[in-house]
Amino acid sequence: MTSAARPSPIAWLIAPAGLLFVLFFVLPFAVMTAMSFYSGNPVTNPNAFLTTRHYERFIFDTAGIFHEALWSTLRIGLITTVVSLLIGYPLAHWMARMQSRLGHALVLMAVIAPMLTGIVVRTFAWMTILQDKGVINTTLMQWGLIEKPLPLMYNEFGTIVALVHIYVPFMVLTLTGVIGRIDERLEQAARSLGAGRLRAFVEVTLPLSLPGILAGSLLVFALSISAYVTPSLMGGTDVLTLPMLIAQQVGTSFNPNFAGALGVILLLVSLAIVVAYNRILARLAGGQGMA
Amino acid sequence: MSAAPNRRPFDAGRAAYLALNALLLAFLLLPIAIVLVFALNPTPYISFPPVGVSLRWFEKFFGSAEFMNALWLSLWVATVVLVLSIVIGAACALALARGNLPGRAVLTAFFMSPLMVPAILTGLALFQAYLLSGIGRPVWGLIAAHTLVAVPYVIRTTLAVLHNFDRRIEEAAAVLGASPTRVFFEVTLPLIRPGVFAGGVFAFIVSFDQFPVSLFLVVPKGETLPVVLFNYMKFDLDGAIAAASMVSILLALSVVLVLERLIGLKAYVKL
Repeated sequence: MTSAARPSPIAWLIAPAGLLFVLFFVLPFAVMTAMSFYSGNPVTNPNAFLTTRHYERFIFDTAGIFHEALWSTLRIGLITTVVSLLIGYPLAHWMARMQSRLGHALVLMAVIAPMLTGIVVRTFAWMTILQDKGVINTTLMQWGLIEKPLPLMYNEFGTIVALVHIYVPFMVLTLTGVIGRIDERLEQAARSLGAGRLRAFVEVTLPLSLPGILAGSLLVFALSISAYVTPSLMGGTDVLTLPMLIAQQVGTSFNPNFAGALGVILLLVSLAIVVAYNRILARLAGGQGMA
Repeated sequence: MSAAPNRRPFDAGRAAYLALNALLLAFLLLPIAIVLVFALNPTPYISFPPVGVSLRWFEKFFGSAEFMNALWLSLWVATVVLVLSIVIGAACALALARGNLPGRAVLTAFFMSPLMVPAILTGLALFQAYLLSGIGRPVWGLIAAHTLVAVPYVIRTTLAVLHNFDRRIEEAAAVLGASPTRVFFEVTLPLIRPGVFAGGVFAFIVSFDQFPVSLFLVVPKGETLPVVLFNYMKFDLDGAIAAASMVSILLALSVVLVLERLIGLKAYVKL
């Protein structure tokens, strides 16, 4: 069907977007990468020279914080992803198999509504819930179940709870699409052949939804390793992630060159994830075409 | 298709499944409800349970010059971003869907990539570019940055509509003698309008709630609402933040309703 026709005049409509993306996306990332190989600002400082010292600083890590920051970023991302999957899967399955259109629309709205609430606002909500005088601690103390507030916030735990809440909708939406495309009759066939509901799910639906699990997990992982607001508000002094380190280098240390190097490192990590994500989506689309 | 064979008197597995999902929905929605409680609770600090209902935090929010300047800046920036991204995004989607462009899949992925690149890095890269070119941190720079991350949403919703509608309608118009320009303005444009508008509303929210892209691009005294809230929250956790949160949540919820009316929410599910 796709003829080798030449581009029609409509193709020119791509120009404004192309210009925007070249000037404010491609070029800035080229500048950031270039800056990461300079000792200073090459425009204002004639003595600035090319160097790999920012990368060496990260790799040799004499201060002993950079590797730890990278590791916490990945660890928080990984735990957030696993928990989001465990929480997101039942919701997605429920939504995908729901008969009533109204019910489906309501659940969909409930999933999307938090997405449309800003990250700052949702992080604030979790601060009011998890802090020492927050909802959970006050309630537990009033019931006499605990004497001292539980350390729910200003640590990795609080950070992960809030991150899961923020990113689980992405997981649900990715999974719903995939589970919805699985023919429900396959599961029914397994059950009529004697499999219990759980076994039919584990042996039929779960393996078929594996691409969705992978795609959703990669998406949530990519989003949570680049989170800044939530770890810096919920993590207190306990948590230092790569995005927080970048903000520090720009804001307090004013070392945009080193910030650039950290940016390139984070970018490479996320790009690797994105490539994997696209591969899976492409395979998904291919599989769908064959069905 | 007749009587449901699955209907049994009581099904423990099914009940557990439903209970679990109800719990998960509560996890998603309760935090937002709790913000409302704190916005109306009159105590000076966040405390639970609430002791009454008052509007003092809304008064503080709407009475504070700092918050109001930030709110107006955010609304203004988001409105400009809405208009820009509708025009740029819809044009781009049309070119992608109807332009016979070579390498369309790659181009589409490219125009979606601001959604996959960590937003804080987009902010950092733009900060570096503005720094190097010596333009400082003007408001138009912030608007350009927001437009960059908002345009993909418009492209996506418009493409969704373009893929769904029947091309034969356009072909019929052409066969009946309409010029390509006339087909475009009288057939194509009205048909994609819901997708474009829905994407635009999404663009507005993306800009209005934007934090990571704004972080390095705002100047002191010229900060957008999320940045002001973030800085405030580092030192103070009182009801003013809750009131400010409520204002943005109400805005978001009304947007969801508008979206649902315009196009149905299905278009967004295609991540």
